[in-house]
Amino acid sequence: MCVLAAAAALSGCISLPQTEALSGHAPPGLPPRVELEKVPFFEQSDFMCGPASLAMVLNAAGRPASVESLEPQVYLPGRRGSLQAEMLGATRRAGLVAYTLEPKMEALMRELAAGRPAIVLLNLSFRLAPIWHYAVVIGYDTEGEKFIVRSGRKPRDEWSYPFLEYLWKDSGYWAMLALPPGVLPATAREAEFAAAVAALEQAGGKREARESYRALLERWPDSLVGLFGLGNTEYAAGNLAAAEDAFGRATRAHPDAAPAFNNLAQVLFERGRLADAETAARRAVELGGPTRGEASKTLEAILARKAPH
Amino acid sequence: MRSSFVRLLCRMLVVCMVALPFQANAGLIGTDQVVTAEQALAARGMVSSVVSRADVASQLQSLGLSPETAKDRVAALSDAEVTKLAGQIQNLPAGADGGAILVLILIGVLIWYLVRK
Repeated sequence: MCVLAAAAALSGCISLPQTEALSGHAPPGLPPRVELEKVPFFEQSDFMCGPASLAMVLNAAGRPASVESLEPQVYLPGRRGSLQAEMLGATRRAGLVAYTLEPKMEALMRELAAGRPAIVLLNLSFRLAPIWHYAVVIGYDTEGEKFIVRSGRKPRDEWSYPFLEYLWKDSGYWAMLALPPGVLPATAREAEFAAAVAALEQAGGKREARESYRALLERWPDSLVGLFGLGNTEYAAGNLAAAEDAFGRATRAHPDAAPAFNNLAQVLFERGRLADAETAARRAVELGGPTRGEASKTLEAILARKAPH
Repeated sequence: MRSSFVRLLCRMLVVCMVALPFQANAGLIGTDQVVTAEQALAARGMVSSVVSRADVASQLQSLGLSPETAKDRVAALSDAEVTKLAGQIQNLPAGADGGAILVLILIGVLIWYLVRK
């Protein structure tokens, strides 16, 4: 099968640009071989590659899960399969950050080298009549120019670069990681990782998100989403002093961010610091923007407390 | 705010935010709104994602989920994901199967390739 795909690529009837770029040019700074043997294998039954793939990466990230426990979270009977967004959602429900990788084989390799298996979305058929399938990539070999995967009923399979790329292209080279709280991906990008942590927070994993916001801020100390999210998750944990600190940092790093002033005002208000709260709330209202309504409400509440009737 | 249309949109947005349980904590703006702003989604995107959560839940229900399950699953999605799913669930990739089919297809490709030559 690998020879077939390679022959097809070489003949030019199928173009595999990433394989071409990597052929003979291993990415710098990577160990030549990685295989994450500890990633458990969960065999899929018909249509269950979503739950099976998720079970593998969730267990690898320290969260017990089975195909049976995940099926109700991702399997969609009317589509006889699992949507990508729901794969991310189920990861969050397990208290993990669901992170979509850059669409590149090299990104995949760097994450594997850092110990993270990835779920990839593949098209096993033609673009016009796709058959979508999830598999878990657990290793690579730069000398053999291949990847090691757990897929379907095979606990271990080896796919050459062209073979993986041929199957992986049509999904836009989609791949996802399931990250424990407080852990950055090896190929983390600020905006994408911040959004991923915020999505975990929104899905209810506030405690876990707080750890990941801290990790985000260690790397990018001025991240608005990071500081704001840290403020919100500290608040949710009842730590008003820490929330005030985070929102305060946000307003200093981003003096035009109305929501940061609003939330700072709210926390100061709850801590009884009415004068400071009023200043922050007025600033939030002045800055306007889509959250102006909320800011006005906050200011009204503060003024009402200041001047009882 | 430049045009009256944008002003109208923002007013609608304020009404939606006031009327609906938008943030997790009383009085605090949710992090997701800051993410949305950072991603430079239009005000329209924010309004439609509020509407879309209920939409997407009912679309999932029509594809075989109980109302409770559909609601739980939508709750785990980001605003951007909900917006993208709305009305598109039938078209988006749904990963399903592997194994035997793959072999058959590749044999098919091989045959096609040889026949082409």
